This record gives sequence, C-alpha cells and structure tokens, in this order.
Amino acid sequence: MSSPRERLIKCFKAVFPELNEQEIQMASTASVANWDSVAGITLLTVTEEEFKITVKPEDLEQLSSFELILDYLNSEKLVASNAAIS
Amino acid sequence: MKLIEALNIISKTPGDGTPMNVALICGFTPLHLSAFLHAELNKCFPDNKIILSTGLYGDLLGNLNAINENKPDAAVVLIEWADLDARLGTRQLGGWGPRHLKSICDRVSSYLAEVGRRLDQASANCPIYLCLPTLPLPPLFHTYRWQASNPEMQLRGELFSFASRFSNNSRINLLNIQRLDHLSPPSERLDVKSEWESGFPFSIPHASVVGELLAKLIHNPPGMKGLITDLDNTLWNGIVGDVGAQGVHWDLDHHSQSHGIYQQFLRTLSEEGALLGIASKNDPANVEEVFQRADILLPKNCLFPCELGWQSKSRSIGRILKIWNIGADSVVFIDDSLAEIAEVRSAYPDIKCIQFPCGDHRGAYKLIEHLRDLFGRRSISQEDALRLNSIREHARFEQDGQNDENGFSEELLREMKAELTLSFVKDERDGRLLDLLNKTNQFNLNGKRYTESSWQDYMHRPDTYVLAVSYKDRFGLLGKIAVLAGRTDGNSLWVDTWAMSCRAFARRIEHQCVKSLFDFFGAAQILLNYTKTTKNIPLARFLKEIIHKEPEGLLTLSRESFLNSCPKLYHQLVIPRNADLTHV
Repeated sequence: MSSPRERLIKCFKAVFPELNEQEIQMASTASVANWDSVAGITLLTVTEEEFKITVKPEDLEQLSSFELILDYLNSEKLVASNAAIS
Repeated sequence: MKLIEALNIISKTPGDGTPMNVALICGFTPLHLSAFLHAELNKCFPDNKIILSTGLYGDLLGNLNAINENKPDAAVVLIEWADLDARLGTRQLGGWGPRHLKSICDRVSSYLAEVGRRLDQASANCPIYLCLPTLPLPPLFHTYRWQASNPEMQLRGELFSFASRFSNNSRINLLNIQRLDHLSPPSERLDVKSEWESGFPFSIPHASVVGELLAKLIHNPPGMKGLITDLDNTLWNGIVGDVGAQGVHWDLDHHSQSHGIYQQFLRTLSEEGALLGIASKNDPANVEEVFQRADILLPKNCLFPCELGWQSKSRSIGRILKIWNIGADSVVFIDDSLAEIAEVRSAYPDIKCIQFPCGDHRGAYKLIEHLRDLFGRRSISQEDALRLNSIREHARFEQDGQNDENGFSEELLREMKAELTLSFVKDERDGRLLDLLNKTNQFNLNGKRYTESSWQDYMHRPDTYVLAVSYKDRFGLLGKIAVLAGRTDGNSLWVDTWAMSCRAFARRIEHQCVKSLFDFFGAAQILLNYTKTTKNIPLARFLKEIIHKEPEGLLTLSRESFLNSCPKLYHQLVIPRNADLTHV
C-alpha cells in the first residue's frame, strides 16, 4: 500500500490538478489561490474518503496546509483509531 | 463512484468538445453533487464540453427564473423539503411542534404552486430534469416514527399531486424515486455533519447516485430496437418437441410463472414498438400448436420473423437482422443455453446476449427489470406502432420476388401509389424528428447528434430550414420516416443533417428528398455536410450512386448532375401550406 504522504498527494492532485507534486507538498491556504472554502471542504471529503476517517469539526481549522494535514493523519490518536493509515 | 474518481474524470476530460451548458438548481450548496453530476455527464456526453453552472445558495425560485435568461441546454432542478419550508430542514431553527404544522403544510402548498408556475415558464426555454425531495422528513411530527401522521401525509400528497402535474409534460422529466430508493437507501442519505458544517446535506454515496441518475435522465440513450428469443425453457417451460404443446407451461401451478411474466413483458415491448423475433431449434408445427393455446400471453402476430428449424442460431439471427434491417448492436438475444449464446456471440459480437435464468424466479424478475432499462423510451410515437407491420410488408415483397437486387422492382414502385408528405414546419414539439436524428445510424449524413436544446436552437435560427418527410403507400403507412435540416446561402443550399429510418429504404425516398429540395428552394447546388461513420454505409452507397465516386467530406451536388443520375420517381407529393420558410 502507498504511504500516507503518497495517498495525500493523490487527494491534493484531484482537488488541485494544476499543482505538481512538489507544489502540492508545499501547499497551504496561503500559497494556493484556488484553496478557498469549497476547495477546502472538497479536499477534506476526499481525504476522509481515502483514509476512511472522520475529521472532527473542531480540528478543521488547523488543517490549512499539506504538512499539517499529513501530521494530523499521522497523529497517534488518529493512527490508533484507524488501521487503514498504517 | 468515489469523489476522488469524479474529480479525476472532470480534470482529465479534454475541454475541446461542443459546449453543453447545464444549470444545476437547488436550494442548498450543491458542492459534491455538482462534481458527481459533472463527472457522470462527461461520461454520458464524451463529445461535449460540459459547463455546469450553479445558482445562489438558498434561492430556488430566483435560480428557476435565471433559466429564462441564461437558456442552458438542460436544467437540473432538485427540490428538498427544506426548500419548501425551512422548518422541514435542520439548518434553520424555526420551530417544530403541533402549532407549526398547519402553517408548514400551507406554506408547502403555496410554495409548490409557485415553483410549478416558474417551472412552466422555464420549460419553454430549456428541458428540465426534476428531482423531488430525496431526504427524509425530520422527526417533527407527534407520532412514533413507525406511524404516519396526518400532516406528513398531507405534505406527501401535495408533493405527488405537484409531480403528477408534470409527469405528462415532455419538457419536464422526472427522476424516478423508486429507482433512487433502490440504489440509495433512504436511511443513509442525510449527512447532518456535512449539512451543519458546510450546507451540503447529502452523504457522499447518495450524492453519487443522484448525480448518476440525473445524468442518465439527461442523456436519454437510444434504447434497443429488437429482441430475439428462444422458445423452449425460455418463452415457456419445457421442450415442446418432447412433451407436446399441452405439456409446456408458464404459470404458478407449474412453478413456471417466470416464463408467463416474460411473455407478458414481451407483449408489452411489442405494443411499445420493439421488434420481436424467434430463433428456435424446433418443429414449426409443434410451435404453431403452442401459439394456438388460449392461455398464451404473447400472440404469434407480435413476433416476426419466426426462424424455426435446425440451422444454427447465428444463421437464424442473420436472417432476422436482414429482415429487420437494423444493426446487431441494437438487438438483444435471449436463450437458456450458454452454448447457443456462445455460438451467436462468436458470429455477432455486437449483439447483447442474455441467458434466460430458467428455474430461477428471482433471476427471471431481474432479467425483466434489466430489459426494461434496455428498451426504455421517453414516449411512444405513432411510428412505433407502425414499425412491425411495415417490416412484414417489406418481407412479403421479398418473398413474392417483387424486389430486385437494388430494392423494389420498377413495376412495383410504379404501382405502389406512394405518397410523400414534405413538411417544412419547424415544430419544436415534434419529438419524432429528434428521435430520428439521434437513433438512426445507417442512413445518417454525418452521425451528428442533438440535445433537445441544441435542436431547438438550430430550428429557431432564421437561416435554417427543417424538412420532415412522412410516407404511405397502398400497403400501409410508414409515418414520419426522414428529417433533413440545413441552411440557405445565396444560390446554395446546405444540408447539415439528414436521417432516414431503415424501414423506408429502397423506395427512392432519398432521391425524392434531394429533388424536392432543389425544386422547393430553386437552388443551383446543394452542399451535403457528409462525414463517414462506421455505420452510414447505406447513405454512402446512395451518395456514390449520384456523384459517381466514393463520397468524402463536404459534397457539392449540382442540380443538373443530380437530375442526370436520378432514377424515375413515382411519388405523389403533398406539401402542407403552412411551411415555415418566411426567413429562409
């Protein structure tokens, strides 16, 4: 199975097809003009679907960049509750 | 479909096709539904560039009005309970409880009336694809959830009377809620987290199913044209050659109801205009005896031709296809034997072969449902009822030796009292013309297909003409069998599109169409926008006959050269007076 990083890149690629892999890994709400609220919800839904997780509403605001989302997916709490990520 | 798949389909679809504008109108944020609908439309219309627009959040009525200004190619309208009264949703807290129920019912009634008025207006400007509420009503009634309450029934009654008003309107197409229920369980449709956080109330699987069904509703694929059935252990249970005509059965008492329902369904298809034929290894006398039984549900006159004998099934099917004059890809073959199916499939890879699940009640019912989808059609026209008879007549000529190798004999053509009605009226309500253009393959100038909206736009252009051709002769009526459309340009006349039913071949109707265009418009030359397709061989043959070379690309036909090549025509012409050619 692909690593969480590769799977997250795939999610970003679907929502922001104009970005290359390098740009995706540096992407944040500040650096990607198309990362508006609709794109943010779409990215979140695609990520939830890919990793079979449910993001808590209170966690949404912190997920503002590729690295932060990856950290969130790798966080101990989430990993413990979701074997699909490991 | 997963959301990521939908997004990938959208981003990977080349954007160079003919634009197709689709408006998605609903009262909630369409979010992922628009992605699923967009992706499914891309799959259904690979030659089009789909441009999907959405309206303002929460303004269903305003968005309906916008159809009249924007005139999209199609408008998808989704109504949810919360659009009819915000208290029927969960995002706004307007109060539930007994004291609110009457006002909720009253508001729903008046709001639906207003939506209905605006839909009527909008449907004059583009075809509408309407989806009634898919989400469950919230628990606002006083009864347990297993007991229906009077206000709830009132609400549902209002909705169904609203829907039934539009179900007979050819410009407003309703999504079938029963199909939606089958594919998307009602209890798994609402996603409150998504609704409260982002205003999008659908779960992802539900959005995917709604998008898929709406795209299918817009697509309206051409249905299958013919069905060829086996007899023993298919149309009836048992082998008539072994047990005799009284020994085969199709009823509950003999546990063979699946064959009875199959017969009943085939009769339905026949009455709807589908062609039915038989390919069976049997003694014709035995078969005849079964069809004499009083309890047969599918009369033999619904079936033509009946290929009975001991030749291979593929040979029988070849003969049937020749008589029907349709392509194998428009035909379904049903047989209980996998060996027979394999033999037919090897000879005709395009034919859709299905095994009849003899002895499997559930499987047989699924087959009927599947056939319904394969042979579905939006409406039934007069021509559908005429189809079988005209094919029978044509076959009779063949049997009587009245055809030469190029079609009917000269003597027969002279004596058949053929009458062609040439109507230049641009009738936008005439769905038969669009059917001919979108479902005819063999005699089709270039294979160009039209959406309802693009066809209307074409017709409304002041420089275009549309010619609808109907035919009858002393043997019967064929109905509306051809449509030509084009433009005028000085002394030249363009033909942009031309389709003719295969039932009308060999009567020199195509020659008369061209001659009539020259005569009617006084044109010096006709420019035919020809494109070779994999199937328009009969049309190419006709063109080769009149231009004396293989047709290729845009063809120019002068009046003089056409008249030199045109055989003698015997048709009597009828041209209605109200031809709509004032601007052409």
